[in-house]
Amino acid sequence: MNDDAVVSLEGVTKRFRDFWLRPIVAAVDGLDLTVRRGEVFGLLGPNGSGKSTTIKMILGLLAPTSGKVRLFGLSPRTVAARARLGYLPELSYLHPFLTARETIMYYAGLCNLDRACAASRTRELLAMVKLEDVASRPVGGFSKGMARRVALASALVGRPELLVLDEPTSGLDPVSTKEVKTLVKALARSGMTVLMTSHLLADAEDVCDRVMILNRGKSVAEGRVADLGESLEDFFLAKVGNVDEFVLADFLS
Amino acid sequence: MRRGRAIACATAFEILGEPLVLLVLVGSVALAALAPALHYHQFGEPSRMARDAGLSALLIGGAVIAFSGTLRTFRRELESGTAQVALALSVSRRAFFLWKCLGCATACGAFAVTVSLVSLTVVRGAEIGGAIAAEHGDVARLWGPSLALAVSAAVAPLLAAAALNRFARFRFVVTSNALSAAVALCGAAYRFDASLAARLLPAMALAAMPSLFILSATAAFAVRFKSNAAASLVALVAAAALPALGNYCLSDALADGASIPWSYFAMASLALVPAVAAALAAGVAFINERDLQ
Repeated sequence: MNDDAVVSLEGVTKRFRDFWLRPIVAAVDGLDLTVRRGEVFGLLGPNGSGKSTTIKMILGLLAPTSGKVRLFGLSPRTVAARARLGYLPELSYLHPFLTARETIMYYAGLCNLDRACAASRTRELLAMVKLEDVASRPVGGFSKGMARRVALASALVGRPELLVLDEPTSGLDPVSTKEVKTLVKALARSGMTVLMTSHLLADAEDVCDRVMILNRGKSVAEGRVADLGESLEDFFLAKVGNVDEFVLADFLS
Repeated sequence: MRRGRAIACATAFEILGEPLVLLVLVGSVALAALAPALHYHQFGEPSRMARDAGLSALLIGGAVIAFSGTLRTFRRELESGTAQVALALSVSRRAFFLWKCLGCATACGAFAVTVSLVSLTVVRGAEIGGAIAAEHGDVARLWGPSLALAVSAAVAPLLAAAALNRFARFRFVVTSNALSAAVALCGAAYRFDASLAARLLPAMALAAMPSLFILSATAAFAVRFKSNAAASLVALVAAAALPALGNYCLSDALADGASIPWSYFAMASLALVPAVAAALAAGVAFINERDLQ
């Protein structure tokens, strides 16, 4: 494995099975992927292309049916490998009965920070995501955008070396989206490796150094955004398939 | 340790914050506290009604909290995705499962301690009341203090918690539980009798023991099956284990100032420890092999 590789996948396949262990679908099929230290890597693709499944295999939540997944050179099922990452899931999974402050303190505890350190880090992150005023309110009553910001703060609490963002701008308004993109760029400048998925191509084009396009579980293209020579949207549509405007027009008429 | 503490505390906090837990706790406290009011039904011993009510509340209320609290917290974690986020960080699946079980046990323990303290106070009160009644031949005068105790133990914490929620934004359910425990502790300390405690506390521990098994079996099934299937399996296991409770006739063993025999403890532990260990081992195996989507 390349010493520089933070994440590597070699020939990874994931087939989901039903109760009787019959294969239903191959969500990821023979995927090779390397994310290098310090880069912002975008995993792009339409809905159902296998982005989230790939992320979950990298996090050790799903076991690959075949192939090898390495995180910092270790199996993602080992605690030592996962201790160095932060994760923002596609939907903001939060305990509804905890307040914003308690949520970040909870994740600080999971990252093994001592109480004083956790408290100061929580204050810092609440200020960063601009939720100081509502820090004492249970997150169950938060809007989607506010919950997203709490989840983002929770992902950053352990000062991770690798930040995994699954659709980071999902559910955010344009201002918050811009703030998240600015934050990702700032984190990348500070040396953090970022692996993000998105189907919003403008987001990926703005922040990613390298992208891989997935379609039906397979990689259809991979390269540096700067080397594409055309807009990411045109490149993506050429690889994944264009919208059939005539069919849409017929439907609308 | 910090990771485990965070998981266990959040779990206990979640279970103690459930309205059903508060309902069971208030019901159990009221049942235990109102028992001395039934002085016309002493069954041959002034404090028997109070003692039996306390033990029943511990057994049934503890089982309800262990089952519903554990099932809800595990299924919510897995279905809402919070378990996935925790397990994507530096927490092993085994540690996550076992620390969550400890959190559930903490919530059940808080319930058991509160109800035990109320029962101790009430049994002591019933003994004193019985002595007064025997001396004066008038049991009606005991109704007033008994009802006052029941109201203060069951209702006062709710009113205080409502006020704290209204004016200081304290969480109502959690505060109610904490205040109930505080009232119970004050009551037990006021009427504390060491010999009575030594006689009753082992019996109360025995009454609370089935909750531990229900909790661990529920946790194991909850990480493998959906709520309905897990509930059915727990019911099957409980139905199979229920006849074993016939071996422990706590009410009779405690009658007329007697203590429970130590053989009860040995038999119960012998049955409980391997059963809990097997359920926890099954739970660890289930969570290790499952895909977390």
